[in-house]
Amino acid sequence: MVNTKVAIIAANGGLFDAYKVFNIASAAAASDAEVGIFFTFEGLNLIHKEAHKNLPLPEGKEHFQEGFTKANVPSIEELVEIAQEMDVKLIACQMTMDVMSLEKDAFVEGIEVGGAATFIEYAKDADISLTF
Amino acid sequence: MSITANEVLDAKGLACPMPIVKTKKAITNLEAGQVIEVQATDKGSTADMKAWAESTGNQYLGTIEDGDVLKHYLRKASDIEEKAETKYEDVLNLDELRNKVDGEESISVLDVRESAEYAFGHIPGAVNIPLGELEERFEELNKDEEIHVICRTGSRSDLAAQKLSEKGFKHVKNVVPGMSSWEGQTEGNQ
Repeated sequence: MVNTKVAIIAANGGLFDAYKVFNIASAAAASDAEVGIFFTFEGLNLIHKEAHKNLPLPEGKEHFQEGFTKANVPSIEELVEIAQEMDVKLIACQMTMDVMSLEKDAFVEGIEVGGAATFIEYAKDADISLTF
Repeated sequence: MSITANEVLDAKGLACPMPIVKTKKAITNLEAGQVIEVQATDKGSTADMKAWAESTGNQYLGTIEDGDVLKHYLRKASDIEEKAETKYEDVLNLDELRNKVDGEESISVLDVRESAEYAFGHIPGAVNIPLGELEERFEELNKDEEIHVICRTGSRSDLAAQKLSEKGFKHVKNVVPGMSSWEGQTEGNQ
């Protein structure tokens, strides 16, 4: 997977969404791919300093919390750290931040901020593009 | 059969994707050609280890189930092995070796891969002395016998054949390319 580029859009802010995004991203990075994630709209929750520590389960699916604990699934905080250690590029959407009146310091350290063109520029030669 | 590894990684109790994330980190610290044993309880890890090795160019050797624990064996990729030209001149191809192995006479095969590679499939009756141990252990071999040296791709066996020749062995043949293309019988954990 060297020379393989993965471009991911994270547009939803629930716990399930977060696992989909960060599991695929860290598996790809561990397989030597270059990985970038563009966080937009509710997807911004996944890298918001406070929000990402306590993401909601879908309504009616709260009982899965127990399953996550039992399966010893890492927390989203841990997965964000792991992704960053493996040089996964985290890009927050500037326009959504403006709409929601959020500044860069509301997010975890080490993110980039950019607009749609930033992501398109990154994704234009991606081998794998995913949207969650 | 005991399988030795240069490093043991405990990934027990960890869910996907942590076993491969940890393996990735651990293998970075190994030298090319070294073997890691990854202990995991994630049932998906066998398929993931194979796929991960495939996409990163490392070598997946095999998995042993030990109760609830899956022990995966992987060997770090070595560019030199893939590209190196062989120098030892007395070579034998796999068809010729297979004829001899299947024939009436018993022959001596020396497998110089790591013990974990040997454990997951070798030519029946082959003796295993990893290349790195040959210097200390060559006296276990009989100088008067014809010795067929084999590894995975023909590169380590080339070095082993040169070494044995320096030690005064006169009847050494390097089998090329090696176990990666061997289609005859094997024995070991499958």
